[in-house]
Amino acid sequence: MSAGAAVSTGAAEIGQSERRWRRRSLWALLILLPATLALGSYTPVKWLFAAKDLFPRDVEPGSTVRFGGSDWKLEAMLTTKDTGSVKLPENAVPVFVDFSVTIGDPDLQKLWTGCRITLADAAGRSWLPTSLPILRYSDDWSDCNSATFSGAAAGATLKIREAFVVPKDAIPTIEPTLGLGSERPYYLRFLRARD
Amino acid sequence: MIGHRLANLAILGLAAAICYGMQTSKPHYADLTGPIPVRGGMGDDVKARLFQLRVDKVEFAKILAVSEFGKDRTLTTGGIWAIVTVELAATNSTTTVSEATWQGPTGLGYRETERLAMVSGLPPFTVEPGLPARGRFVFEVPPSEISGATLLVSNERAFALDSQARITLDGLRLKPDGTPEMVADIYDMDEPIQ
Repeated sequence: MSAGAAVSTGAAEIGQSERRWRRRSLWALLILLPATLALGSYTPVKWLFAAKDLFPRDVEPGSTVRFGGSDWKLEAMLTTKDTGSVKLPENAVPVFVDFSVTIGDPDLQKLWTGCRITLADAAGRSWLPTSLPILRYSDDWSDCNSATFSGAAAGATLKIREAFVVPKDAIPTIEPTLGLGSERPYYLRFLRARD
Repeated sequence: MIGHRLANLAILGLAAAICYGMQTSKPHYADLTGPIPVRGGMGDDVKARLFQLRVDKVEFAKILAVSEFGKDRTLTTGGIWAIVTVELAATNSTTTVSEATWQGPTGLGYRETERLAMVSGLPPFTVEPGLPARGRFVFEVPPSEISGATLLVSNERAFALDSQARITLDGLRLKPDGTPEMVADIYDMDEPIQ
């Protein structure tokens, strides 16, 4: 009789401690599952942020902004009627975007890699620089990626020009944007003067 | 006690059956991350995620004439040349469309030819929003793979979780035996894209 009682007490004790651990484990899941998710997605999210221009910083017209260690100023956004030998589609317009950049930190290969200048319109469309040869080669101007490898020294001023081809209907709202590898996910959006 | 044990066994068996069922019925990882088809026919504007495509015409030829580096060259084939003329545009941002496959009725896929190196108007196409452009995809296919074929077009060859335009080539003029009615003797690749 007494032996039987001892066994049943033992079973009850095991059951109780088991139940306690089961409860602890379930509570632990509440912390561990989100922690696993966070840990697993940390690297992909970091890559995503390093690769994409996600959050704009607005730049007022005519102002100079430090970005990627240098001072950027949007000088002009121009178009031309003369595209040389290149024949554009009827509704297409060439647009040149000119920056002057005063170099601060001269390690451009580290700070400027993945330089991406685009034109974005109010409808959310965006254009990359064109591959059509509408831009004459010139010693005065370079594009952003060749400027990155130009070896420019601190204090030098670079003139950067990119050429785009956009449809006519985008012209009223297009704004230049600038993304640099060292500044992502932030990028600059150069606002246009309101007339 | 025995009832308890039996119930446990039943639960175990049920769990095993569910697991097995899920294992055999679940889509493969490659299918889950594979191309997301956007279907259409010839002449339709088919909207993929990053680009929009319309197949305007499909022409067939026995020989392709090209000029490369100033030299004229003709290319023959054991099958038939299929030249697909398309209009392409980007949806929201500048993008590159580089991959097209001619999928025959038996499911065999024929990738664009790589025998044309320096010919303009061939992929990869850089397309911009609001500026539709025309281009050509050139394939080398057996005559038996023409009737009931589908054109598959995507930005890149290998991709995950992105769309692929699948255009049923339903507007082809074919003979009763499934081969094309019109096969040009020579197709000149230097002619401007019409």
